[in-house]
Amino acid sequence: MQNRAASIIVGYETVRPIVRNARAGRAAIEIEPGELTFMRRLMTVAAAALALSACQTVQNEAGTPTTYQDPGSLGAVRGVGIESQDIVGMTDQMMRDMLTEPRLANASPPPNVIIDGEYFVNESASRLNRNSITDRLRVGLQRASQGRMNFVGRHYADMVQAERNLKRKGVVDKGANPAAVAQKGGDYRLGGRITSLDARDAKTGLVQRYTQIVFEMADLESGEIVWSGIYEFSKAAADDVIYR
Amino acid sequence: MRKTVIAIAGATGLVAALAGCAQVQEPAPICNMAGINASRTLVALPAAAPDAPSPLMEMPLNSVSVVDHAIIQKVFPRQVTARRTPTGTVEVVTQIVNCTDHPLNVEARTQFYDGAHTASEPVSAWKRFAMPARSSNTYRESSIGAKNVNFYMVELRETR
Repeated sequence: MQNRAASIIVGYETVRPIVRNARAGRAAIEIEPGELTFMRRLMTVAAAALALSACQTVQNEAGTPTTYQDPGSLGAVRGVGIESQDIVGMTDQMMRDMLTEPRLANASPPPNVIIDGEYFVNESASRLNRNSITDRLRVGLQRASQGRMNFVGRHYADMVQAERNLKRKGVVDKGANPAAVAQKGGDYRLGGRITSLDARDAKTGLVQRYTQIVFEMADLESGEIVWSGIYEFSKAAADDVIYR
Repeated sequence: MRKTVIAIAGATGLVAALAGCAQVQEPAPICNMAGINASRTLVALPAAAPDAPSPLMEMPLNSVSVVDHAIIQKVFPRQVTARRTPTGTVEVVTQIVNCTDHPLNVEARTQFYDGAHTASEPVSAWKRFAMPARSSNTYRESSIGAKNVNFYMVELRETR
C-alpha cells in the first residue's frame, strides 16, 4: 500500500514526511533528524506569527490633515532645491526691478515684450517646471505695468493663427475687433538660465546646493541685453526631500 | 643698586605696555538697545468709527518695523530712506545692523501706501539677506506703482 505523503510548502522549500511501514489500522511516520529540526523551526515561526496577529489592532486615528501654507514662506517640507518661496521671491524681485528700467517701463510707445519659458533654460540639478517661474513673472508684470509695456503671447501663436485662418476663409465671422495685418512682433524677449553647484559631505550626508537664476531681457533687433537680474541662494540640508 | 632700579623701571614699563594691550577694543557696532526701544514710538491709526479712539497702535509709516520678537533685541535699523527711480517708482533703502556676535538670516518686505495711507499695491515678497556677526546689510525694495506711492512700511523678521 502506498500512502501519499502530505506536503507543506514553506517559502521555497517543501517538507515531505516519509511514510513507511504502513499497515492496516496503523501508520508509522518516520521523520529524519534534519527534518525534525526544520519542523520545530516551522512551529516556532507559526507560534510567533500567531502571537503577532493578536497584536494587530486598528490604529483608529486621523492622519496628518492637509494645511494651506504661505507660498512666500518656508514650507513644512524643506530641501535644497528651488521651492515656492524662491519662485515667489525671485519673480516679485525681477518684476519690481524691471519696472525701474526706463527702456522697459518708461518708453514711448510702450515696447512689446515676450515673457515665456522658451529661452529660459534649466541646467541645474533641481527638477522643476521653468514655466512656473516665467508664468508668474509675466502675469505679475502685466498686472503691475498698467500699460507701460505690451505683452505678446507668443506661446499662443498657433492658437491665434488658427483663428485668423478661419476668419479669412470665411468659416467664422470677423469678430468685433479690427483685423490686424499680422500678429504682433516682439521688441524684447526674456531669456535666462538656472544653474547649480552641488556638494555632499560623505560622513554626515549633509548636502548643500548653490543655485543661480539669471534673467535677461534681449532686444529682438540688435540682440542687446537691455536689462538683467540675478537671484541666488545656497541651502544645506540632510533631509531626504524628493521634488516631483 | 643701579641694576635694581633699572629692573624695576623695566618691569614697570612692561606692565604699563601690557595694560595698554589689555584694553579690549569692541568691534563695531555697539548697539544701545535701550535707546532703540525708546525710538519705537507707536502711533494710533485713524479710528474706524468717528469720535472713537483707535484700538490699533503700530509703527509710524516710513519706518522699519521688526515684527519678530526673536530678533527685536538683536537688530537695529540704522537708516531708512526712499527715492524716486527714473521711471517714477519708489525705491526704499534701509540699512540693518546685526548687533549680536552671531550670524543672522533675516528677511524683509515692504508695503507701499498712497496719500490716503491706503495700500497702493500688493505687499512685496519676503526678501532674504544674510547678516554676519556685528555687521550690517542693506535691504532694497522698489514699488510697482509710480505716482500713487507716498508712504511705505518695511517689516523685518528672522528666517532660516
